Amino acid sequence: MSNGQDFEEIARERKTRRTVFYLTFAALTLIVAGFLIWKLSSLILPIIVGALLAFVFRPVKERFKIRWLPHEVQVLCSFAAIGLVLFFAFNTLRKHIPDEEQKLEFKVRLNYKLNEKYRQLVAKPAEEKSNAVAPLIENELGPLMDKFNQSIELNPEERDLFLKYAAGYNGKPPIEPKFVDYFRANQRTGKYVIPENAPDREGGPIAPAAAQPPTPGKGATLENKVSAWMLAPLIFIFLGFDNGQIRRFFIGLVPNRYFELSLTVVDRLDDAIGKYLRGTLTECFLVGLTLTVGLVLLGIPPGIAVAIGMVAGLLNAIPFVGTALALVIGVGYALIAENVRPLIPGLNPNDLALYVVILVVITHVLDDVVFQPFVLGSAVNVHPLVVVIAIIGGSLLMGLWGMLFAIPAVVVVKTAVATFFKELKAYRII
Amino acid sequence: MSTRNLVADKLLWETLERWKRSTPELDRIQFLKTVPFFDQLSNRQLKSVSDIMFERTYDADESIFEEGQPGAALFLILDGKVAVEVLRETSTTRLAVLQKGAFFGEMALLDETPRSATARALEPTRTLALYRNDLTGLVHRDAKTACQIYRVLAGMIAERLRLTNELVQMKTPALD
Repeated sequence: MSNGQDFEEIARERKTRRTVFYLTFAALTLIVAGFLIWKLSSLILPIIVGALLAFVFRPVKERFKIRWLPHEVQVLCSFAAIGLVLFFAFNTLRKHIPDEEQKLEFKVRLNYKLNEKYRQLVAKPAEEKSNAVAPLIENELGPLMDKFNQSIELNPEERDLFLKYAAGYNGKPPIEPKFVDYFRANQRTGKYVIPENAPDREGGPIAPAAAQPPTPGKGATLENKVSAWMLAPLIFIFLGFDNGQIRRFFIGLVPNRYFELSLTVVDRLDDAIGKYLRGTLTECFLVGLTLTVGLVLLGIPPGIAVAIGMVAGLLNAIPFVGTALALVIGVGYALIAENVRPLIPGLNPNDLALYVVILVVITHVLDDVVFQPFVLGSAVNVHPLVVVIAIIGGSLLMGLWGMLFAIPAVVVVKTAVATFFKELKAYRII
Repeated sequence: MSTRNLVADKLLWETLERWKRSTPELDRIQFLKTVPFFDQLSNRQLKSVSDIMFERTYDADESIFEEGQPGAALFLILDGKVAVEVLRETSTTRLAVLQKGAFFGEMALLDETPRSATARALEPTRTLALYRNDLTGLVHRDAKTACQIYRVLAGMIAERLRLTNELVQMKTPALD
């Protein structure tokens, strides 16, 4: 056998060994990754959130460059600034997230106010004239109101707790007497529709719902969640320190044949996803700001307006569902709001819920006509049907977070597949 | 170069020399100094460029890029030999054999036009690759360095255009 043939044989054997090694390594990596994802599933969301924040705010870090300042200090300074803004924003939000007492109070107020509005709607005129619309509304809305009352009413444990809070409990001041009156009025509220086998219409207080068993180990779960979420800022900061090393490491693993291809694909993906995420974030911010300003003008206290604006702005990232949730939150608060004085003259405070609906509609139109074309002009487009399926799929897999991340995930997959195949053809690999 | 930059440059270089913590990085910067493409850059600027370069190793006879593929990066030869060839249906024309310190594929720094020739390693070869969009990114982070690289590139293209014009003039018969 000649030297040339020997060399070819060695090269062939080496190639076979390399292929076997790569395949074994890939299989092992997949198995280990799958096992880790399964076991550490609670860490996935904080990691994704931290990584996304680092990715979204990367341009801020890159723009903040002072030549004589070490890279790490620059990153810390820029991220400290971002962290402060986020901290104040979420602190404002946290202050207005209701605690146990406020939740009970809100439920009572919402139950009372909604029943009050309903009774006003179906009430017969004082001068005994026949109201043709009222029975129609009663027939249509009555069952809905019954269902609503049933879903929002306090269970026996909650009632006991409310009465404790009403007298002052757990170091908290007593609940306002007005809301205690609301509670008693709610207790007296009967069903609006007579059940077929019911003995009488005013059948006393509604039967209490079955007491829910206490959730075991709730404190421990919360503790685990808090410690898992500590990862998010850590990932955010450490990815911020990265100066392209992670990208270089992964590009370094790519075979020579795909080197330029991988650079192009990674770059295009980075660009498309970055444009989409930053565009969506800007859009959410603008929607949140519009709602906040609108709610302040309608007379809602600034703190609560900021909290509602923030939540609605964040939820706006979920197409279709976001607007509906913003409407529910806004109208929900408008229904329980008391002593509201709109800053716009001529508005009737009793119609606050209607004004909130109009505000949400105006914001939605502004979002569609001005914000989206302006900030998402050149970003990736996703078909509405895909959006709907992705949102439903996301909600089934991961609940609200799944809905929030469904569209970014679709954008990542769509851009990756499209770019990858386009470049594979351009590089004559397929 | 301003005094502040000079001082920063000197400090950086002295620190790197003293610590000797990253010999490959120092070697790379020393190597970049010898390449005409970067010989106008200071040590600090060379470090900025070195930080965005990818080191790739090719086996003998392995293709670095092929004619017709979209260009994405400039390649510098750290070690080894590279043949630049044009492949036709029946024959292969070797345009040049490049050695340590030479660079090729520089047009890819400007746009994505297809490669005009194939580059193939003739022996085990180490290269440094500078990706187009990383250089574009350098414009935002270190505009002066990026500008100097683009100026050298523009000078090389102008020189080639001048040579091409001369060649065309030599091959075109006089009208009178």
